[in-house]
Amino acid sequence: MNAAYSLDHRRQMTGMSFVAPTVLLIAIILIYPIIQSVVLSFGQSSIDGSEPYEFVGFAHYAKLMGDERFWNSMAVTFTFTAISIPLELMLGIGLAVLLNESFRGKGIARLAVLFPWALPTALNTLMWRWMYNADYGLFNAVALQSGIVDRPINFLGDEWLAMFSMVVVAVWKTSSFMALIILAGLQSIPRDLYEAGRMDGMSRWQEFTQITLPLLKGPILVALIIRSMDALRTFELPFNLTDGGPVIATESLSLYAYKVIFDFIDFNFGAAIVVVQFLVIFAMSLAYIFVLRTRN
Amino acid sequence: MTKRPRYGLYLLVIISVVISFFPIVWLILTSVKTTAGIYAWPPQYWPTPVTFENYWTIITQSPELLRYVLNSFIVGVGCTALTLVFGGLAGYALSRLNLKFAGFLMVGILAVSMFPPVSLLPSLFQNFLQLGLLNTYTGLILAHAGLFLPFTVWMLASYFATLPVEIEEAARMDGMGFLRIFLTIVLPLSWPGFVATGLIVFIFSWNEFPLALVLMTQNAMRTAPVGISLYPGEYAFPWETISTATVIAIIPILIITAIFQKQIVGGLTAGAGK
Repeated sequence: MNAAYSLDHRRQMTGMSFVAPTVLLIAIILIYPIIQSVVLSFGQSSIDGSEPYEFVGFAHYAKLMGDERFWNSMAVTFTFTAISIPLELMLGIGLAVLLNESFRGKGIARLAVLFPWALPTALNTLMWRWMYNADYGLFNAVALQSGIVDRPINFLGDEWLAMFSMVVVAVWKTSSFMALIILAGLQSIPRDLYEAGRMDGMSRWQEFTQITLPLLKGPILVALIIRSMDALRTFELPFNLTDGGPVIATESLSLYAYKVIFDFIDFNFGAAIVVVQFLVIFAMSLAYIFVLRTRN
Repeated sequence: MTKRPRYGLYLLVIISVVISFFPIVWLILTSVKTTAGIYAWPPQYWPTPVTFENYWTIITQSPELLRYVLNSFIVGVGCTALTLVFGGLAGYALSRLNLKFAGFLMVGILAVSMFPPVSLLPSLFQNFLQLGLLNTYTGLILAHAGLFLPFTVWMLASYFATLPVEIEEAARMDGMGFLRIFLTIVLPLSWPGFVATGLIVFIFSWNEFPLALVLMTQNAMRTAPVGISLYPGEYAFPWETISTATVIAIIPILIITAIFQKQIVGGLTAGAGK
């Protein structure tokens, strides 16, 4: 053994020992439970381990395919994602362009748009639920007093209105996150590109569509994928805003899975739901990693 | 940039700021109204009189709401400390020590960071139940640390990569071990990275909902977002208490965000782009 080899060997051993605690904790908290969820979803068992595990094959998945409430929650989740993400993207780009300008009080403006993102979703949702309140909420107070409506609007009691109200909260909360990622992209665009554009007699709008947007493709894609994965697992928003109601009109996939597991105490069927959700989101995350790798 | 006043720009900025702020402002206004004022018709837009009665009531009669905030604080600090120690060591090894599987580990860590928390719930609940970790700070700290370690490793690894390598090489020549180099040279140089990462992880932990909901089933152990959400019970929703408790629970986050805005924004955008 030569000296260089033993030095590298020592380096590898030390490095592994530095990485080990992290890998171990991630394995215990993230990886093992996923594997266990897959195992649970193929069997029948008891929560406390008092009864032996019995393998049932695809029985829970077969039940899932015929479960209307499951398909409803898929539809709710995808509708919610499909409506809120484009809105967030448009507002996010607008905000980013705005915050990229130089003006007095910019620091405060940036802080203001950061707040909705930094606060807990669960508590944000409570704030909005209070404003949506049919009897004492701010929106109905304004609408009734100004004579726009003569009866209070039941924001959370109507199927489509409840979905709309939920989308508004999500857009309010996360447009700023989109904006921050896109803003970082904006700041990396060299200024002289715009000067060249100006010499060619481009308008501000042409500058935006022909210079800015193409160069923002990467950051926009990253923001879109991160937010889509977030929206697909949305949980505390419907939990606190509507509890999935009216009836099940806003019951997201995560919320349905939670109810099956902890309200109906059906761990094995619930595990099948979360495994399906996991596969959908994991496919998206692979797409994300692929996008990042091809970019670099 | 042009010198002429840009009223349109300011108008848009003001609209954005108002929309971002008004739910929070309305919440604070609600919390300083009397109960009669909250449910009054015509609605009270400005609290008359301004009263801190609701805050006093919470302090004297509902100490559990303060307990939630304390729980969040303990879990947040524990989780942040644990992720910074583990993630710092791992991030250093992965970015600096030419580990054989560094690339594979980094991508693997990124991939697991995207696991939806709800898919962990059936098994984590069952394991924690059987291990006696439900309703313990240790349990939720470990769960949150596992959840946010991937982010920490990526943040810190990319921070270490920006440091000049020469000092470490010189220290190697002097025969210093890697742990000593990390503790005496790398740590002092990279504290801004640790501060930014730690703040974001603390906010993540403070805000986390599904795991905190499921792993803390006793009222006295609940974190602030969960405790306040479940506080009302079935039918009556005491908005005077809820609004006040919510204000108390978001104040720490508002302060941290206001003071460390630059670090947090920098950390987040770097984390997302990597």
